[in-house]
Formats: sequence, structure tokens, C-alpha cells
Amino acid sequence: METTQTTLIDGSKLIIESLARSGAQAFVAYPITPSNWMYKYGKQRLPLFLAAPDEITTLQWMAGLSATGVMPVTSSAFPGIALMVESINMAYAMELPMVIIITQRLGPSTGSATTGAQGDLSLLKGIISGGYAVPVLSPSDFVDAWTLANEAVRVALKYRTPVFLLTSKEMVMYQRSFDLNRLPTLRSYDYDREIEGEFKPYKPVRNLTPAFVPLGDDNHLTRFTASTHDEDANIRKNDPEALANSKRLQEKLVQNLDDFFHMDLDTVEGARDLILTWGITADAAREAVQQLRSRGKAVDLLTVKTLLPVHPRIYDIIDGYERTFIAEENLNGQFRQILFGEKTSENILGISKIGNMITPPEIIRAVETQKSLQL
Amino acid sequence: MSTTVSTKILTDKKFPFCPGCGHGIAIRNLAKVLQQLGYRPQDVAVVSDIGCSGLIDPLFATHTIHGLHGRSPALGLGVAMGLQQKPGKKTIAFIGDGGATIGLQHILEAARRNVDMTLIVLNNQLYGMTGGQISGLTTRKFKEIIDFETDVPAFNLVHLAHASGARFAARVDHPKQMPEVLKRAVETEGFALIEIASLCTSYAFKRLDELMDVVQEEEVLENPRPATQIRLAERPSLLDRQEIIHKEYEPGRPGRYGFVLAGSAGGGVQSVGKFLATAGMRAGLHATMKGEYPITVGTGFSVAEVIFDHRPIRYTGIDVDFIGVIVTTDGLEKIRKRITPGSRIYLDEKLKDADLPAREVIVRPFTKYVNRKSAALLATAYMLRQEQIIPLEALRETLTKHRLAKVFLETLDKLAELDG
Ligand SMILES: Cc1ncc(C[n+]2csc(CCOP(=O)(O)OP(=O)(O)O)c2C)c(N)n1
Ligand code: SF4
Ligand SMILES: [Mg+2]
Repeated sequence: METTQTTLIDGSKLIIESLARSGAQAFVAYPITPSNWMYKYGKQRLPLFLAAPDEITTLQWMAGLSATGVMPVTSSAFPGIALMVESINMAYAMELPMVIIITQRLGPSTGSATTGAQGDLSLLKGIISGGYAVPVLSPSDFVDAWTLANEAVRVALKYRTPVFLLTSKEMVMYQRSFDLNRLPTLRSYDYDREIEGEFKPYKPVRNLTPAFVPLGDDNHLTRFTASTHDEDANIRKNDPEALANSKRLQEKLVQNLDDFFHMDLDTVEGARDLILTWGITADAAREAVQQLRSRGKAVDLLTVKTLLPVHPRIYDIIDGYERTFIAEENLNGQFRQILFGEKTSENILGISKIGNMITPPEIIRAVETQKSLQL
Repeated sequence: MSTTVSTKILTDKKFPFCPGCGHGIAIRNLAKVLQQLGYRPQDVAVVSDIGCSGLIDPLFATHTIHGLHGRSPALGLGVAMGLQQKPGKKTIAFIGDGGATIGLQHILEAARRNVDMTLIVLNNQLYGMTGGQISGLTTRKFKEIIDFETDVPAFNLVHLAHASGARFAARVDHPKQMPEVLKRAVETEGFALIEIASLCTSYAFKRLDELMDVVQEEEVLENPRPATQIRLAERPSLLDRQEIIHKEYEPGRPGRYGFVLAGSAGGGVQSVGKFLATAGMRAGLHATMKGEYPITVGTGFSVAEVIFDHRPIRYTGIDVDFIGVIVTTDGLEKIRKRITPGSRIYLDEKLKDADLPAREVIVRPFTKYVNRKSAALLATAYMLRQEQIIPLEALRETLTKHRLAKVFLETLDKLAELDG
């Protein structure tokens, strides 16, 4: 192979190609900017493409397909995600694998369709009624777009859950020169159908997750339900076995978080300040860190890629610094608030902005003045 | 549940309905029909909704999936499309009249798509589970009795499904007709809807004849069209079609450069942005290209932002003084506020009166030599030649590879006329 394979490419294409190679089989979607490139590529690449008439239908079709063993993905932005919420809860409770890409754009409401943002993380934190954890992966560059799309499919299938791939307009609707040789070879994944002992639809078998038997299976009859249920999928109200099953939905993800927690920690000798960032602000943060270091300022950079569930390791890292600046393109610092609540402190500072990407000079300004920045 | 699959369609579970509730009759009839037609439990997926009519999944010894209020036709269609990969399987979804109201769109969509599945609508004229409120299928006759929105008619679901393309759409009022019509529905290859009048003894009537007085007429409507087949197909990699670009030219002064190309929709600005980025790559530079245009892409401004850097590009915004190319008023107005005192702007002569706060404004009559479709390209080529950041040849080479190469290269030839 040649040493470089440089091409002009966009993040949407890398994500869809990766999903296809990872085992995603159906792309179901309703058009919305900035997901339109995903839609176009999804149609070109996935084995099955369905143009749904709305986002509720999208999620329902995906759930139906997934229950028969056809792995679905979709891509949408806040207005569409809002319509999907009840159905996402359904898929979560039924334990149906699927990948939901969110291309964040400026809110509130319809907001501005072609302006990027990082404003939907708080929604995902509370998207499952009852506050249950759901995996949220957020690529910070094109290599992540490729590897985390693969990871999203793996996690969705392994833990039988919807997984969010949280991107932004700035990641999926621009092109850059990129060496394709930087993309690792991907493994393809499938539903885990290995049954142990007697089959029960919701009996945890591995990793607190039940084995998957698709609807229509010839050897075992299966049941899926979104109502509170026991291992046999019998609907039960608040009896202990059913509540234990509901708790397991959260536990399977939290207890196995090490398996899908991803972050980059870039350190130098003697740094007492940490910049913590995620998603599309990571590029600006990398540039800012480089410039700060070249001016003699030791500063470290933590790029979190598995945002939810929150891994305790993030707190351990933050504890090692005098100050942490959390940079993200939203109004109030959503990840910061998830980590530390609404109370601000001298040690935890925010760099937040709406309407435009946070720039390297803005991050540098915050670090040099040791002040929060709300733009 | 055991691994040995029995042949019974129904479990032994007690029916959960109030005494005299009509929902159970439809379920027993369906089980008989399925057995008659030779379906084994493992061949059937029962999709249920929310409502009294949704309490049915424990009653079925088949595969079951129990979802949300109003969504069983959509969930069912998803299941039906998935089951097409395994021949001989049948999807049967149930919904109440309330569910059919909130999920009407799903029913029309399933009818239109005509994938093989059966939808059984248990119409008891009301929302049983939530206390007897009216639905979109409640008839005026019934609403007169309960004094509720008497001036609003009911949807005719059978007509709606038929008009949307359902292979089979029928209404059954009297239980006597039910086995025969249910059988026809299940035998249908394609989307079959059967609306069944059902007695709610708690909130509507105690007696069947009272219900028969208020329901819509029985009918059977068919569209002779084949069922839609859903197949999964392997498709080629998106990367196969990616153009690999090698360094063929030497760049000029190293550094980071931001270009903002501003014009109007239809002026090829987005393509020129891509050509510029690719040309930079041909000169061994890292490049990014971002487009900005109104949601209605065919009108108004069109702006392309391109960055060149001899180092890998991290931040993809233009955070330095930039080199602007402005060929229309739309473009000018869009980027005017961004122009920094250190920027250099190449401006079409027609816009020469624009008072721009740039370090340097270079005015040339681009639109005099080419039409509006080519002005952005000519102006960008002119800029590139003046700036010497990359050789003009790198752009020419990029254009040569395009299917419209001839037109583009003719535009480049106008550079000589501009000089003259
Ligand atoms: C989105 C949503 N809105 C409202 C409800 C509350 N709800 C539960 S059942 C039901 C009505 C059921 O009526 P129908 O579908 O006719 O079934 P029936 O009980 O009459 O058999 C409603 C409104 C719900 N579950 N979900
Ligand atoms: S409330 Fe009505 S619809 Fe519900 S079970 Fe009772 S009789 Fe049947
Ligand atoms: Mg009803």
C-alpha cells in the first residue's frame, strides 16, 4: 500500500462507510439538516435504505427491523430526535440494538439548521425516563468518526441498546484533506445469539445482557416488550423481579463502562491546568494547547469521547489539576453541568459559546486570564 | 419459555378483559384462522399496541412484541420488512381505535407501502383503557348518545387505507362475519387492514345490538397490486470513488491561509471551493473546505471557506486575516462584516463602490469576461496567480480532471484578457 492516500473527504462519509463495514444493515431516516449528507450516503451504502415519513416512524421501523435481527441506524438533529424520544425509550426498554447519529445544530427549537452546536448532550443525559444511562459517543476528529461509528455498532449489539453518536454540523458537513491510511481496519459485528441454558427473553446471559433471539426464529419463541417486565417478558408492575430487570438496563452499561470508555489525555511535564473538551471543540482545544505550550505554558488536554455514562476516571484526572477549563459550544456548559452541577467554582471553569465554533484564541484567553468565558 | 415449540397459537393465560368485552372474540377468531392456514407459532409475530386492545401479547404463544400507543402499525411494518428475509413468516399487528387515531400516519404509510402484514383494528368507539373518551373513529351516532363533539364525523379508516393503496381493507361489524373476513385478511399478500367492531361493556354498551346501531357500514375494498418486496443488497464502498490526490507541485511561502469565496447561488462557488482545496492538496498542502449557503440552496448567497496550511490543520475556522474573492452583491453582503483590516479582497468591478475595511482591495472586471456561472472561478484563478501560494497549474490540473473541463479551462484562458 502507498504511504499516503490523501483525499478530500467529509465526516458524514467516513461515519456511514464505517457503520456499513461494522455491521449496520439498514439506514432509516427522515431528512433534516445537517444530517442530509448522512442520508445521501446511507442510501448509497447500506444494504437497506428506507425513507420514513417522519421521525417517530423512523424509530419504530428501526425497532421492528432490529427485533428481527436487521441492525438499523439513523441520523437526525434535535427537532427529529425530540419526536423520537418516546420510541427511543421503547427500544431501550426492549433492548434493541441501533445507532442514532445526532448532527447537532443551533437551538432552541428549529433554531438555525446550518449552524453547528454542542447543545443536545443534556437532552441525552435525561432522555430515558427514570434517568437511565444510555451510551453517548462523540467523535473529536475524522479518525474518531471512523472508529467510534464502529464502536457504536459494537456496543449497541453487545449490550443490546440504542447508542448515540453525537456529532455536529462542523464535523459532518465540511471536507478536509485526509490520509485514508490513518483509518484502521474495522471488525464487523452481529447480534449475539448464543443461548446458555433455558432461553428466557430477558434473562441476562453475558455482560448483564440477554441473548438475542429474533422475531420469527424457528427454534425459540421470543418476546419483546417496552412495559415493565420480568425475565420472561411478562408485564409486571412494581414487583421485585421486574424492577430488578429495569435496574439491569442501567447496570449493564455502567458496570461495563470500561469496555467502551474512550478518551485522549495529552500531558506535559508540570501542567497545573487542564483543558477538558469533547466533539467539535476538540480541534480548537488542540490548537490552543499547542500554542500555549509553545509560549511556555504547560497545559494538559483531556478529550472525552464516551460522554455518557460518565466514567469516574474523568474525576480522578480532574483531581490532579489546580484548574480545569471545560470548553464546549453551548450556552451553559452542558458536560460541565453534568459533571459538576450548576454551581461554579474556582477550580472548574467553563468556556462556552453559541452560534460559532469556539476559537483557539478564546481558549487561550480563558487559560491565560484564568477566567470562565461565556460568549 | 421452553425450547420445544408447541403448535398452539394461544397460551393458557386468562383473558384480561372485563366480562363481555369484545376484544377477546377477535383474538380467538384470529387464532383459529392462523391454525386453519397452517401457521406454526414460530411463523407468526404478533405486534401489540397500548390500550385494552394492547393487553394481548401474553395471550399469544407466538413471537410477540409489545410497544407504544399508536405505533404498532409502524413497529409492525418494521418487523414485517425484517421478516421478509425469512420466507413463510407472518406479521400481525393489533391496534385500538384510539391507537389508530394517534398513529393514523403509520397506517396510511403501511397501506401505501403494501408490505405483507395484517393490521387488526379493534374499534370499540372509545379509549377503553383511559376511561371511555372519544377517538377519531367514534361515530356521530355514538357521540350523540354520550353528547360529545356531535358535529365532528368519524374517520373512515377503511376508505383511508384503501385510498392509500392497501391491498385489502375491510370493516366487520357483526361477529358472524369475522372468521371469513379475517381469513381473507391474513391470506392477503400485502398490507391488509381489518377494522372489527368490538363491544366495550364498561364504557359503551352492554349489548351487541346497541353497538350495531352506531357503527359504520361493513365493507371490503381491494387494490389488486402485488406486495412490496424488501431485500437487503450489498453496495460498494463509498471510499472506492474517492479521488486520491498526490503532491505534484511545490507550494509558495509556507503558512496558514484562509480563503473566503463569496458569490451567489448558481455561481459555482461551492465547486470552486472544492477545486481550490484540491489544488492546494496537489501542492502538498493540508486543506479544508466548508460551504455556507441558505437552506434554500437555489437562491441568495453562496460562500466557500478554504484553508491551506503546510502543517496539519486542527481548528477549521478562519481565524486569520483572509483572502477574499467577491463576485456578487449577495456574496458581498454575506461576508462584509467578517472582513478584517488585514484582509485582502479581490472584488468584481461592478462592486467597486463597496467601502471595505480591508488592507487591500483589488478590483477587476471578472464579470465582463465571463458569465455569472464562471465569475467565481475566474476571480479565484486570478487571485491564486497573484498570491502565488500555490502554482496556478495545480488548479488547472484539478479542472482538467473534471467532466466540464473544457468550459473551466476556457474560463482560465480569460486570465490573459483580464491582463490585457
Ligand atoms: C403517547 C401516549 N398518549 C397517551 C397514552 C395514554 N393511553 C393509554 S391507552 C389509551 C387509549 C387506548 O384506546 P384504544 O387504542 O382505543 O384502545 P382500547 O383501550 O379502547 O382497547 C391512551 C390514550 C399513552 N399510552 N401514550
Ligand atoms: S374497559 Fe372496555 S375495552 Fe377495556 S377491557 Fe373493559 S370492556 Fe374491554
Ligand atoms: Mg378503543
